[in-house]
Amino acid sequence: MPSKNDTEALYAQVQRKLVESGEWDRIQLILMNKLNESGWTDDLRHRSKENARDMEPLSFRVLLKGLAPHIQTSIPPAIRKEMMAVIRQYVEKQFE
Amino acid sequence: MSASPESGPNPPDTDLSFSSTSSLESQANASDNNRCSHIREAMADGPSRAQIVTKYKAVISWTVNRTQDVLHPAKRRKISSPTCDVCELTLSRPFACLHCSFAGCWSNAHVGMHLKNEGHGFCVDVKSGSIFCGECDDFIYDATMDSIYLSTVVSAEEKQTKFQVKKKGREPFRPWIPSDKERVALEGTVALPCQGRRGLLNLGQTCFLNVVLQAFVHNPLLRNYFLSDKHNNQLCAKPPGCTSCEMDKLFAQIYSNSAIPHGPTSFLATTWRASAELSGYKQQDAHEFFISALNQIHNTSRGSTNVSCNCIIHSTFAGQLQSDVKCERCGNVTSTVDPMLDISLELKEKAGEVTSGENTLAACLRRYTQPEKLGAKEYSCGKCNKASHVSEASKRLSIRKLPPVLSFQFKRFEHKTTDKSSAQKIDAPVRFPASFNMAPYTTLVMNLKGKETERENERGGVPALSYPGPEAMYEYDLFAVINHEGQIDNGHYTNYARFQDEWYRFDDDKVTNSNLGACLNSPAYMCFYVKRHLDYKPDMTPTYVQTRENEAVREKELEKEKERARNKEVEDALLATV
Repeated sequence: MPSKNDTEALYAQVQRKLVESGEWDRIQLILMNKLNESGWTDDLRHRSKENARDMEPLSFRVLLKGLAPHIQTSIPPAIRKEMMAVIRQYVEKQFE
Repeated sequence: MSASPESGPNPPDTDLSFSSTSSLESQANASDNNRCSHIREAMADGPSRAQIVTKYKAVISWTVNRTQDVLHPAKRRKISSPTCDVCELTLSRPFACLHCSFAGCWSNAHVGMHLKNEGHGFCVDVKSGSIFCGECDDFIYDATMDSIYLSTVVSAEEKQTKFQVKKKGREPFRPWIPSDKERVALEGTVALPCQGRRGLLNLGQTCFLNVVLQAFVHNPLLRNYFLSDKHNNQLCAKPPGCTSCEMDKLFAQIYSNSAIPHGPTSFLATTWRASAELSGYKQQDAHEFFISALNQIHNTSRGSTNVSCNCIIHSTFAGQLQSDVKCERCGNVTSTVDPMLDISLELKEKAGEVTSGENTLAACLRRYTQPEKLGAKEYSCGKCNKASHVSEASKRLSIRKLPPVLSFQFKRFEHKTTDKSSAQKIDAPVRFPASFNMAPYTTLVMNLKGKETERENERGGVPALSYPGPEAMYEYDLFAVINHEGQIDNGHYTNYARFQDEWYRFDDDKVTNSNLGACLNSPAYMCFYVKRHLDYKPDMTPTYVQTRENEAVREKELEKEKERARNKEVEDALLATV
């Protein structure tokens, strides 16, 4: 059973490979395009703007905290599934 | 790779106008009472300001270049990837200190701790350029830094752009710096408070006119052109009925300090004079009026031509559409290029039908650029030369050249016969985005797709983009939407338009505050997008101005000659009397 430290070390290693190869950014671009086409990005833009409009005093942390639950739960399941597959494919190939 | 640098109108890009004039800079910042006092102090002190600005520019340039390396690699090389100075994790979203070489994670307050421990004031999110103030414990806004962000990004992108004609690089953007004469003139002016948003009176079923005029008024390129006095209606020599003069008058009205709705009566009269079909007090199609108005403004623009025109209309709206017809038998491709001022998109459904799935702008564009089989009788291949056979062929559309302003029309009115009144309306909602990327629908990218190498897939990764960047060359932002409600002969037009970051709703004379959500959910008939960053040709004096100046010089010479001749006559006459 891998210890917490082992998992963290593995995560750091995967992250490093993803970022250094540029894969992280390319995967993120695919994600951003999918989210944009689904309308999720604009919905978030709208919500954050309207929340900020009436906030006094305006604070980024408060804004982020208020939106975090929605962000966590609103990613369309189909997109989540597709992205997991893309990431999995890369990680598996790297660590074969 | 034969795309040539696009032409843009000479006035500077909308958001960069004031970056260089220091008095206007301090005006922008001074009026903001909520400005973080820490950044204000830091920017007021010479050495501190220099250090912050230098570091900021370096960080932003680094990000733009890194993104290019990742998405559009020129050659395979290791990508620069900093690690967090606290936890050593490779940073996917670095935050850089503006006072030292520290880089760290946002989460777990690694960068926050650094600012506190070292007494450093600011750090920056390298991806967005957003500045975080340690003392305020919040992201802050500074007009000067915001302007530096934009100019640094544009400058880095310009150097990366590989579209080249005759091995020349891309023309760098140069902000307008007033000459001494202009500076004096500016100091003598009085600033008028104006909203820039006025309702337009309905003059009798003229909502179709009002929505198109509002889309023109909120078009940054048209606005900059007419507000720069490039077509002064009082100096124009044309007889009454000049649509460009009407545009000039319209902008003067909108940007006056009157807030009451304006009645565009002379614009309407000029439209009737120019186009018989659009005359009379009945409901017209907004798209038809839009195209007609574009042609009218083009016709009345000084120096407009029929081929490769660079009038304000063509500079703003003209793109190129490529049609490739491929013979299925021998593979021969015949390409034709046509100019286009806008794109009309078909919707999935027919009138009265309800289907599953949504119409999105992307889906409509995919449909538009999908290869379409031509009927057996429509095409005979020149190459195959089977005289008795008519070959099977497919036709594919793609955008060869992207215009600065992209206008889309959703074809909601299908005409069953030539009689307009028997058309039915397709009400299916279309989802369109506030921002999007046109690359997948361009000729360049569509042609490269077939040839993409699969090398990245061996490593299980996502292939890099095979077309030249930067992405900003293909990115567009929505600024106006024209809505239609009701039926074809019994409907009403309204529109949404954006000014900087705020959306407004226009219903003839009624203008109200609105928001992005309301706009994106509205029943769209037409959408207008503007390119995020413009590209420029080198500054040139238009030929008609050159001609005019040469004419003026020649006239002066002629006058001098005449004067000399007259003087000589007088002298001779005097001498004769002696």
